[in-house]
Amino acid sequence: MLTYLRKRIISSALPLVVVVVGVFALARMTGNPASLYLPLNATDAMRADFIAKNGLDQPVLVQMADYFGGLLRLDFGTSLRTGEDAAAMALRAFPATLQLAATTMVIAIILAIIVGSAAALKPNGLLDRLASFVSMAAASIPDFWLAIVGIWVFAIYLGWLPTSGVMGAAAWVLPVATLLMRPFGALVQVIRGAMVTSLSEPYIKLARSKGASEYRVVTAHALRNAAAPALTVAGDLTVGLVNGAVVVETIFGWPGIGKLMIDSILQRDFAVLQACVLITAIAIFILNILIDLGYALLDPRVRPTAGARGKRKARTITSTTEPTTPSEPTVPAVTGANA
Amino acid sequence: MFLSSKATTPVTRTRRLSMAVAAGALLGVTVLSGCSVANSTEASSSGGSGAPAAGGTLRVVLQQEPPTLEACESNLTSTGVVVRSTITEPLIERNPTTGELEPKLATEWTSSDDTNWTLKLREGVKFHDGSDFTAEDAAATIDRAVNGKLGCNVEGYVFGDDDLKVKAVDATTLTVTAPKADPILPLRLSFLEVVPAETSATEKVREPIGTGPYKLDKWDAGQSINASAFADYWGEAPAFDKANYQWRSEGSVRAAMITSGEADIATGLSPEDNIGDLGVSYPNNETVALRMHADKAPFTDIKVRQAVNYAIDKEAIVASLYGGRDKVAAQLVPEGVVGHSEELAAWPYDPEKAKALVEEAKAAGVDTSAQISLIVRTAQFPKIEELGQVIQEQLSQAGLNVKLKMLETSQHLTYQVRPFPTDDEGAIMLMTQHGNQAGDAAFTVDQYMTSKGAQSAFGTPELDKLIATADAATGDDRQGAFEKVFSYQNENVVQFAHIAHQTGMLGIAGTVAYTPNSSSGDELRLAEVTAK
Repeated sequence: MLTYLRKRIISSALPLVVVVVGVFALARMTGNPASLYLPLNATDAMRADFIAKNGLDQPVLVQMADYFGGLLRLDFGTSLRTGEDAAAMALRAFPATLQLAATTMVIAIILAIIVGSAAALKPNGLLDRLASFVSMAAASIPDFWLAIVGIWVFAIYLGWLPTSGVMGAAAWVLPVATLLMRPFGALVQVIRGAMVTSLSEPYIKLARSKGASEYRVVTAHALRNAAAPALTVAGDLTVGLVNGAVVVETIFGWPGIGKLMIDSILQRDFAVLQACVLITAIAIFILNILIDLGYALLDPRVRPTAGARGKRKARTITSTTEPTTPSEPTVPAVTGANA
Repeated sequence: MFLSSKATTPVTRTRRLSMAVAAGALLGVTVLSGCSVANSTEASSSGGSGAPAAGGTLRVVLQQEPPTLEACESNLTSTGVVVRSTITEPLIERNPTTGELEPKLATEWTSSDDTNWTLKLREGVKFHDGSDFTAEDAAATIDRAVNGKLGCNVEGYVFGDDDLKVKAVDATTLTVTAPKADPILPLRLSFLEVVPAETSATEKVREPIGTGPYKLDKWDAGQSINASAFADYWGEAPAFDKANYQWRSEGSVRAAMITSGEADIATGLSPEDNIGDLGVSYPNNETVALRMHADKAPFTDIKVRQAVNYAIDKEAIVASLYGGRDKVAAQLVPEGVVGHSEELAAWPYDPEKAKALVEEAKAAGVDTSAQISLIVRTAQFPKIEELGQVIQEQLSQAGLNVKLKMLETSQHLTYQVRPFPTDDEGAIMLMTQHGNQAGDAAFTVDQYMTSKGAQSAFGTPELDKLIATADAATGDDRQGAFEKVFSYQNENVVQFAHIAHQTGMLGIAGTVAYTPNSSSGDELRLAEVTAK
């Protein structure tokens, strides 16, 4: 198990470094931030001062070496925009995103298990078709549209919920409901598919013939076997939420890392952007490891058989089915964001 | 769900454990990640939907979080809208409606030669930290923002390269000496927000101490800014005991916060945000214009630049895109700014004349088919993309070859300010939105029209001379001199095609009273807001 873990850590760490280096270089290719931070009619001397003060007159490789040197001392640099410590800004914003993503995923998983299992009981029945339609629709509605409609209906027309903000439990409802749709839709389909397969397996028939209740057949037998693929998909979806909550955070004024990242890109606030990317990438890296571990624990075919029977030395994976989790952290796209 | 009453094999136990680990990992994230979002209950008293009464909390929703509240950055819109005359105060304040300068922390100011100015300062003023305001503080404020190396925004924008000599004669007397005669020095000083002499002169300060009617209580970064009425304020106490600022980047959400009773004032709205009757529009001193760079064909010929002015149907643009609220512009500054000419007429819409001028230029050997890049900043103001498309279409009708390029702010700025990019395809035409909040045309023409102005693509020696004369003039002469500058640009230079003087819109809840003025977008004085 440890060998397996070590291997996964090494294979996931490489993309982490690539992402950090890539973002560093790409950010600097987007232009000099001096014009954004200095008055429009700043003198040449003011510009030169600004550029020198922020080390932007150095070659990119030197800047990068400085940056990595700083990282070793846990110095992530200072925000050009606010003058604050970049890591502090990113770390302050990150929990807000994680909380939103985790709450969303827990609710999505629970709802999807209920709906997906119910649909699988009678394939092509009315419930199944209804679930299929709802989940397809949920997975394809744009966040932006859903958020605005949600605000209009529940905050303005009905007056039940606040439009936005982070004050109190009610403020969570609209952002979570908006974010929930895509993972819920995708998970219902995965769980339903896996459950239909599971329920037609011989051991289910055996369980039924032994007189097990339908509830027990579904929960104790079928669902357990359907859990592994669902976990993998749920992991992917969580990764997507962590780095893709930008729209929802922007609309609802949620002080998360997605919004901070977009603001930093538009403001050419390099240090904050790098801190955001690094922290998100580390979180996704850890999440991927957890998903792999969870998968290995759930599915005996993936689980290492390390000396269990005392015959073989630790082997990593005995199964031919390599986990399909993505190992590359991704950076959210920035298209469509407004200045 | 995983409960089972019998036949618990070792395998199922492991599986149960693993599912629990997986679910626990997700839940754990929620718990372990602390309460960074949930800990903001302190401000929740202001987040409810109750209407504010006098003495309660005034809730304002802005477009964006201020990057800093540093007083010397207060001519940045997002900083100034919170800070100016609410948390900090200037020595002298410009009345945005009359354009007159009014006393604030200075009670009077005089000069016999426009170079040496003497200011009498108000007595009995206290800073939020309890210390007294004296001439030392005023002098330190000017030194810090204008003469120092902080790189304050106000330095470049308002004072340029010039340093000022300042001296605290006694506790309530300050002298300021300009390097050369500067008749509008008091106006320039109105941009400086006063901070205590102890304020760092080497580092910018995110949260300033001021003398204003509200003092800063808590800035919950990313979430809200809270302020409360300053008990020792020298002037009249404001109507509300507390103020709460939040920010939402979506206009429709800001509008919804007003209609749902979550906020009392929302800035930066447009009628499309569904604000209905609660939207109050006001002239915001912003002017939209096209700047033509004359270094490449076809703009090398003044006839083509004139053709652009004739080709654009400004009346129709104002009527159809901006609901008739904006005003067709003939110059870069609107009414109310010293130097604005009432006499100057906007270019009439005359597509035939535009076509004929382009043909004339073509006959004279100008390559009128050369590509023109129309550079437009995404989301700079409402319907800007549609505006760009209309202009592109109308110029095409006149026989010009225009390509629309939508850019985000940072990229747009490289075109807006010198040195301009030179390797672009074809001639450059930049859509610019200029706001003159200072109320004097000097702040416009020095930048936008002189030969070497930071935002000027070209000028002429004659125009430079006219501008220099206007800059040094006083009183009625000053008004007349700037009028000449604007008419000269329209007749002889034609660097600009003016489109419209814009209007802004605030959302104001039915429970509060506030009359917006031309500077409300940059300086929302909370002390002027009352409960209904």
